[in-house]
Order: sequence, then C-alpha cells, then structure tokens
Amino acid sequence: MIPEYLIRALLASVMVSVLLGMLSPLINTKGLAFLTHAIFHALLLGAILGMIFGLLLDNLSLVMLVALVVTVAVVLIIAHLEKLGFSPDSAVGIVASFVAGLTVLGFGVLYKVMAGKPYFPLSESIVSYLTGEIFLITLNDLTVLVFGGALLFFVMLFLYRDFLYLSFDPDGLESYGGNTRAYLMILYVLVGAIGALIVQTVGLITLQVVAVLPGAIALMVKSDLRKVIGVSLFLTLGIQLSSVILAYFTDIPPSGLATIMLGVIYGVLLFRR
Amino acid sequence: MAAITAENLTITYDGVPAVEGVTFEIERGETLLLLGPNGAGKTTLIKTIACFHREYSGELRVFDRPPCEARELIGYVPQSHNLNERVPLTALEVVAMGGVYRRGFVHFKIAPEILEKAEEVLNFVGLAGLAGRLFRELSGGQKQRVLLARALISDPEILILDEPLSALDPSARAEVAAVLGKIKRERGITMVITTHDINPLLEVGDKVMLLNKKLVAFGKPEEVLRDSVIKSVYGPLARVVPVEDKLFCITGDTHLHRHGGGGR
Repeated sequence: MIPEYLIRALLASVMVSVLLGMLSPLINTKGLAFLTHAIFHALLLGAILGMIFGLLLDNLSLVMLVALVVTVAVVLIIAHLEKLGFSPDSAVGIVASFVAGLTVLGFGVLYKVMAGKPYFPLSESIVSYLTGEIFLITLNDLTVLVFGGALLFFVMLFLYRDFLYLSFDPDGLESYGGNTRAYLMILYVLVGAIGALIVQTVGLITLQVVAVLPGAIALMVKSDLRKVIGVSLFLTLGIQLSSVILAYFTDIPPSGLATIMLGVIYGVLLFRR
Repeated sequence: MAAITAENLTITYDGVPAVEGVTFEIERGETLLLLGPNGAGKTTLIKTIACFHREYSGELRVFDRPPCEARELIGYVPQSHNLNERVPLTALEVVAMGGVYRRGFVHFKIAPEILEKAEEVLNFVGLAGLAGRLFRELSGGQKQRVLLARALISDPEILILDEPLSALDPSARAEVAAVLGKIKRERGITMVITTHDINPLLEVGDKVMLLNKKLVAFGKPEEVLRDSVIKSVYGPLARVVPVEDKLFCITGDTHLHRHGGGGR
C-alpha cells in the first residue's frame, strides 16, 4: 500500500517537473540565472512576511499568497529597471540587496511574533520553505499547485516562441512590431509565480539549481529546440521522481538529493567536454 | 518623394550630443552609405531613424512621418554578433520573426502564409536550402543574409543596416554586397548602411555621408571621397589614390575604400 502522502509528493513532483522542465531552457537562453537568485530572496522575504501576517491573523494560508505577491512585485521592479536602461545584472543587484536586507529585518520581526505564538504547524515552518517539504504537501496545496501550475504552463507554452524571440533579439522584436516590455514583464512574472508556486516542494535553497541546471544540461546535449525541451522535461521529471522515492527510503530531503544528482550530471558532462 | 529628411538634427544621450546639426535628404530607392570612425555617431543616427532612440531635436522625417510613426515601413538589420545565439532558432524561424509581429500577441504557431513568405525571402537571399539549419550553425555571411531576409519579409520601404560587413571575410563581404545589390535592383528599397569598409558597397551606394559627430560631407561618392575630405576625418595619413578609373581611399585606421567610376 503506497502511503497517501507519497502519492501526493509524486503528483506534486510531476507538476513541478512540467513547469521547471519547460521554464529551464528559457532561463538559460535568456540568461535569467541571476534573476532566480533574486527570486530566492523575494520568496524568502514573502514567506517571512506571510508568516508574520499569518501568525498575527491566525491564517497561515496567507504565506503562499504573500510570497507570490512579493515575488511578482520584485520581478516587476527588476523588469522596470531594465526598461529604464539598467543591465539585467545591475537591476537584480539593486533589488536583491534591498530585499536581502528587508529579509533579515523580517526575521527579527518574525521571531518576536513567533515568541507570542508558541505553536504553529510544522508544514508552515519557515524552514520548510528553505529546504522544501514535499512530504508535507496537503491535498489543498496539491490542488493549488495543479491548477495554478496548469495556468502558468499554458501561458508559458503559448508565449514560448515569443520568449525565444525576446531572448534572441529584443531590439529586432521591438522593431518588427512586438511589445518587448510586455513579453519581458510576462516572462518575469511567470518565473516569479512558478517560483512561489513550487517553493514548498522544491525549497528556496535549491530552487535556483533545479530551475537552471536541467535547461543548461539539455542545451549542452541537444541543439534542436524540441529536443532541448524534451531533455529538460524528462530530466527534471526523472530527477524529481527519483529524489522523492530515494528520500522516502532514506529520509534524506528530496530537494537535496535532486540538487546533488543534477550537479553530478552537469559536472560529468562538463568534464566529458 | 523623400524617404528620409533631416534638418539640423541633433541627437543626444542624457543631454550630451552624439550627433550635432545634421541636415540631409535621401530620395526613395536611394542607398546611403554612412561612413565615419568609431564613435562618430553612425549607429546613433540609424537607431534614431529606426525609432530605437528618441532623444533628438531638429527635424527628422521618414516618408514624411516622425520615425516612430513609420516603424512598419522600416526593416532594421542589426550586427549579427549582437544577437543571442544560445537561442536554438532555425534560419526559417529567425526570418519568420520579421513577419509574425504584424498581427497578434501570441505566436505559438507561425501562420502558414508567413512560413511560405519566409521560404520565399530565404530563396531571394540565396539560402533556400538552409531553412532548417540552426542560425548559430551558419557562417557569418549566411547569418547576415538571414537577417536581411528577416527584414525583407515585411516588405519594408526602408532597410537600415548596421555594419552588415563587419567581422566577415572578403568572400562573405562580397556575398552580402551582392545580395544588397539584388535588393536595390529588384526591389528598389531605400537603404541606409553604416560601414567601415565602403569598398564592397560602392556598387549599391548612391550617396555617401561622412560623419564625425557632425556632418563632414554628404553627396555622391565621387564628391565625398576626396583627399581633403578624408584627411579631415581620418588624419593627415589618409588619402585618396586614383588608380585607372577607380579611387582608392586609404584611411589612417588601415581601412581601404575604393570607388570605381565604371562598371566593375
């Protein structure tokens, strides 16, 4: 008999894999690895603010919502700074430093709030956002992940070619009548929203790796777009499912296992080159 | 009808002039070769004409409209090394990019008529057999021709080309110059081309502009490519040497420019 929590974890892994497998090649081709670093900070700040509000209002379901709002706001600010003429790295650097500082301040406030609330569920612990707690996913979490993920997936799918053109030649896209600003905003919001949606399963610490490496590996081994996406999807799916199953038998956090496996594959491919 | 007119055009970046007080006029179907040393303002001028840069004073009209209202008439061809070649797009997909943004916001699937037109313009630039090849796997000259095809797919009235011959070997330069000649002959499109090497382009050039932040000279090639004019921009070592019926323009930065009077 397969435990229900394991089935939920496996289903969550499938959804996460579909989202990351599609997104990862875009992150690599557009050069958004540093942006995912900023999203890490934004999600952490959002989770902390969400926990503060959640504890104060006795409604911990606010955590994901606040994390989503903060993350989307942060990526929109970054996109706006880029449109003002800052390089992507500079824009991320400016925003991420503010967000990192606010996160530290937020921790101070959270500890004070937590001191007044001696009990809160483990699934909403801030640590679960850092490392990912896929085995603690509830049916409600899974429902949000599946429906939210499906929506984000289809937006990404339908605009995939436009995102590729945006990555290839933004000036060209603009000059031929495309709206570079709108595509950039949508892409950044997608990255932020996907990060917020999967953070509880993947974990903040490992989010950047699992978002970047599948696409990087796929681009190393294939050059045709369909094959790149296919490799990225199957690699993410394989890694996520195997890490959940391994974690079930070994009690090691699956996000850690997934990250190590991806790192090994990437390292081996680099050495073979 | 004039394709481009500029009167006392000054282009600035954050208030600092990059091009000052330029006045010129290009007729429909003419080709302007824009020559000048690095930092002379060539790219700034073409980016302003193409509406990428909007900070200017004076008058600038493209087919009697402000540049940003004439965008659908303009095909812009960037330097190929400014593109992100990590994106795995085929030559056909790159060409189609020039056509899909005329309509709609979502381009999950490229419309069959755009794909058909993309194949047609790829054929026009001599790359019919390479439609399915990845852009990054093409040679420098082939990439430049794909970018020309991308600009042609939207049937522009004006082509603006930023250093189309840069980083190309001599045979690739000849290939690209030949395609530009074909565009001029068969389509009669107005072209503005920035270049460091005017030599392969003189076949297509009706007018030459020598720019060094200000307009140094503007006119027919034989009027601009004169010893005194070239020296004023490239220094005392620069000179124009007549050899038989051709002019060779030797500049201080070792670029060699030649103007032939007869057909070559």
